[in-house]
Amino acid sequence: MARYGMALDYKSCINCKACETACKEENGILMGADSHRIWVGTGEIEGQYPMLDIVSNTFYPSQCQHCEEAPCEEVCPTQATYYDEGGIVRVDPEKCILCSYCMNACPYDARYVDNRTMTVDKCNFCADTRLARGETTTACQNTCPTKVRIFGDLDDPNSEISEVLRTREHFSLKANLGTKPKLFYLT
Amino acid sequence: MKIRDYIPMREDFSIKSLLSFEKTAVNILLAAVILGFLALFVVGVAIYLQHGHHAYNVTREHPWGLLIGVYIFFVVSSTGLCIVGSLGDVFGFKDYMMISKRAIFGSIVTIVAGFAVIAFEIGHPVTMLIYNVVSPGLTSAIWWMGTLYGLYLTFMIVEFYFLLNNKMKKARIFGLTGLLVGLAAHSNLGGVFGFLNARQISNGVYYPTYFILTAFITGIFIAFIMFGFRYKLNFPENAKKLLMGLAKIQALLISILIFFVTWKMLTDIYGGMPNRAEVAIHILGSWTFWAEVFLAMLIPLFLIIKDMGRNPIVLFWASMGGMIGIFFMRYNLVHDTQLKPLQMLKLKEYQLAPQWIEYFPSSTEIMISLGGLGLCMLLYYIGTKAFNLDETH
Repeated sequence: MARYGMALDYKSCINCKACETACKEENGILMGADSHRIWVGTGEIEGQYPMLDIVSNTFYPSQCQHCEEAPCEEVCPTQATYYDEGGIVRVDPEKCILCSYCMNACPYDARYVDNRTMTVDKCNFCADTRLARGETTTACQNTCPTKVRIFGDLDDPNSEISEVLRTREHFSLKANLGTKPKLFYLT
Repeated sequence: MKIRDYIPMREDFSIKSLLSFEKTAVNILLAAVILGFLALFVVGVAIYLQHGHHAYNVTREHPWGLLIGVYIFFVVSSTGLCIVGSLGDVFGFKDYMMISKRAIFGSIVTIVAGFAVIAFEIGHPVTMLIYNVVSPGLTSAIWWMGTLYGLYLTFMIVEFYFLLNNKMKKARIFGLTGLLVGLAAHSNLGGVFGFLNARQISNGVYYPTYFILTAFITGIFIAFIMFGFRYKLNFPENAKKLLMGLAKIQALLISILIFFVTWKMLTDIYGGMPNRAEVAIHILGSWTFWAEVFLAMLIPLFLIIKDMGRNPIVLFWASMGGMIGIFFMRYNLVHDTQLKPLQMLKLKEYQLAPQWIEYFPSSTEIMISLGGLGLCMLLYYIGTKAFNLDETH
């Protein structure tokens, strides 16, 4: 049984947004600012010209954290949000009643309303597209020019993600909430 | 076989009796308001059916809007009326018997109005009915809240039936069960917010307990309003005695509420917890918070204490204001929970990093909300014509 996660070498991100585009293309995400499964957050540059603090100008690619203790899964009244066999947090649009409780409960703002199905949607590591076709990478990972993203099985000690998490320091977002995210930011 | 064989309705109840009422200026105004609100409901629902949630001002960052607040307003009113109604027929306080039937009927119409409003907020209500049963999410406070409220409505209807038939023992059993289920449902509604560890301002035990307290307060406000209309502000002695008793309970409850809110704000602000302290300070700067404090707390408390609840006419008007304050209390609860952005970085070029989430309800949301109020008033009016809601023995 796999346990999928993703490591992000976020300091290599150049904010080209190719990942956002690839995600939309691969998964048929509609256009519009609110319709996005993944995004690149930008820290504002601090300081006054010419004394700018270029270190503050960091890009944080992000998406659903695929938490092991996912608040969105706990609060779903119809079990529309569920963990699949690979530990990926997914949404069954057949069961979603659009109560929006998961959108409120997710600490990462990772959920939005998909206007095609009028249900809540989120990143699923391309589980119903690329992974379903037998590929081993996600669209965002595949397209990234600076190889920020490493997707793989955390339970496989020989996988690239396991290797990198063993050898490099990393942190998770809002880890204090006890959600046990499976997105890891490499430092 | 007639419906009257099973449900003791008034002998003179008919469509004609519904349309015949004393043509005073107040009554005509009320009739016009009810019809106007129902017309708005129809228009609002028609727009919603065409455009779905796009007709609302809810967004990815602020997914819950006015309709959630109005739903809470109605179900809190229902629970409160259930508590007030139970004082007499469940707990046996004789002085409060005369409001039991009216309050229990009120609890039914308010929760029906709440369900009518939430049906147009939930994106797929039919799917909800199916999958709530087929694949229940037992870890979800919404599932428990919805399921328990469904049960509660059933118990309230059965209790009302026995009250109408003067079968007090059975009414007591169903009343007590309904009250317990209602309190469980209601505290679960508080849990819907209290369980959110993503939203520090709401997370914790505060809302599940506060909801029960404010429900009782709301129930007493509505009791004053119901009796005010029933007796056209010309209260008989037994009604005055009942209302004076309720006023004293209200003074105690509002005092406890003020204590609750004060300490909630103090611990939020001085506790200094990130994502909680700054939100609490922001709330202190919003006029809707002060509308809640003055209309639902300070003014009613002052007016009750002024002559120890002996002036029901003044308290009728204070209760009208109190219900406006309670509305803001519910609206604030929903909006304040979502004030703080979860994503603090800018996502687009030329965009500033978000500070606070802005929200103002759309016209469709306002129309459906007012429609819920119109529906509630209409059902109550029909009830006063169809049933004898006064104490019969």
